[in-house]
Amino acid sequence: MAGTTAPAARSCPARFITNVEMSSGLIRLDCELDAPLPFRPGQFAMLNLADGLPLVFSRPFSILAGDGTTLSFLYRVVGRGTAALARLKPGQGLTVLGPLGRPFPTPDELEGRPAVLIGGGVGLPPVHAWFARHGRDGDTAFFGGRDGADVPWSMLDARWGVSVDRAVDVPADREAFAGVVTELVASRGDLADGRTRAVLACGPIPLLRAAARLAAARGWDCWVSLEEHMGCGYGVCKGCVVPVATAGPDGWRNATCCDEGPVFRADQIRWDRYGVPVLPTT
Amino acid sequence: MPPSLPTWFDLDPVAPFTLGGREIPGRIWTASGCFAYGLSGHDMAAPGFASPYAGIGAVVTKTVTPAPRSGNPMPRLAETEVGAINSIGLENVGYDVFCRETLPELEARGVPVIASLAATRPEEFGTMTARLQEVAGDFAHWHGIEINLSCPNVAEGGHDFGSDPGTVAECVAAAREALPGRPLLAKLTPNVADIAALARAAGDAGADAVSAINTVIGLDVDLATGRPVLPRRFGGYSGPAVLPIALAKVDQIVQQARVPVVGVGGIASAADALKFFALGCVSVQVGTAQMRDPFAAARIARDLVRAQS
Repeated sequence: MAGTTAPAARSCPARFITNVEMSSGLIRLDCELDAPLPFRPGQFAMLNLADGLPLVFSRPFSILAGDGTTLSFLYRVVGRGTAALARLKPGQGLTVLGPLGRPFPTPDELEGRPAVLIGGGVGLPPVHAWFARHGRDGDTAFFGGRDGADVPWSMLDARWGVSVDRAVDVPADREAFAGVVTELVASRGDLADGRTRAVLACGPIPLLRAAARLAAARGWDCWVSLEEHMGCGYGVCKGCVVPVATAGPDGWRNATCCDEGPVFRADQIRWDRYGVPVLPTT
Repeated sequence: MPPSLPTWFDLDPVAPFTLGGREIPGRIWTASGCFAYGLSGHDMAAPGFASPYAGIGAVVTKTVTPAPRSGNPMPRLAETEVGAINSIGLENVGYDVFCRETLPELEARGVPVIASLAATRPEEFGTMTARLQEVAGDFAHWHGIEINLSCPNVAEGGHDFGSDPGTVAECVAAAREALPGRPLLAKLTPNVADIAALARAAGDAGADAVSAINTVIGLDVDLATGRPVLPRRFGGYSGPAVLPIALAKVDQIVQQARVPVVGVGGIASAADALKFFALGCVSVQVGTAQMRDPFAAARIARDLVRAQS
């Protein structure tokens, strides 16, 4: 199971502080809340514009960090909503609804198994938040990017393993494995010591599938944080479903990503049904 | 929102009012499909609100059908700058689970409920309503039924019975017979030439009010692929863009039919809600705005009350 007890959501006003470019494509957004927002790594918040015309739907972002009343997210400009965030000026109003969704399991819930954290691209926040809060000796963390310019190096200290699809633009004082991030994980001798571990991953679907396969091959448990377009973020619109396995006649059903997830056990996901436009019969 | 209410507005939006022989706790409701089954907001907080239910007269629950439905393939939503097209496909837990689990929990939590039902044949509205009456007949917080005649996503056998006055009357009559003492509402589609004819048919068949409007048929195109964004091509368009359409349809009903109207369509603020009351609506429902903000309806109720004092 993903973590089941998590802080309740609050709908609150926020003030935009800054957008900081962390790599060629990744922007960290900091905003100021009226009060701290307790969250668990893997939870997300819905953001919207408070000044002027709001977006019809708020946008979901995994929470990167909460330092006092400052809340931070990481995003890439992909559409109208993120473009609007990129144009914000300091002091402009935002609305925040969060924290939402089921988080990654805590170390206690992992029952002592070391964590293998895998973040791909803009999927970095939940695993980064987990490592920052819970990481200890024995846990390992990995980031996969497109190339050296895509990697937010300042967020990743020497404990992080980094892979890049194309080994260009890697800083001289840093190392990057050339290949996909799950190949980097598989190549690490220290993870092949026979200990049972738990993979916590967030990133593009091919990465998550690969992480799930790698975990299954080693007999490890794996949790993945999924991303879907969401309307509401709190379970009411049913706009963000993902296929999960069930015991029923079809063997699967639609689960709401926002409130049944976004963190799911990887073996709960029907990867073969992901993105396949076929309906169960009931 | 004006600093004080216009003088013509003499309703108390958070006071009980009588509809279909029953007292409904207030005039600001949430619309079907936009606050799920009314159980999603209980642990949520916002500055200045006890809960997202503060001041809400009724939650019109997500439409349930005789059997559970998995809904449509993804993607199910397409957002425009001023609205949203949805093609959820009536995903729901099914009538049995709703009666057995959802309604009793809503009753225990004291959530005022109007239950939204959809069926595939007119007579099913009667059997579903009868079952609801059996299960919840003595519930204090279940107030009535809204029959969903107009969801454009589901056309069983290609038959859209929400656009034919005769079929609307059959559906309403079937539910009416099984629902003594509680208000029966018929939610109407705007995707017809003469919505007033539907309203007249519903009223003559025994509906205590009509809810207008449901979503407007819409389509968006993905320019990268040149194809419709939604796999089923069309969806139901809602949000701020449809507010003037809803007002026009409501006005047609008010002018041409003698049935109370519950206004719904694009309401996101107290000022929006007032426009429906100005046309004569007895209450209003907050839909798409509720998805952006679980406190949307509560805020509207609060803003109207504040402006009154």
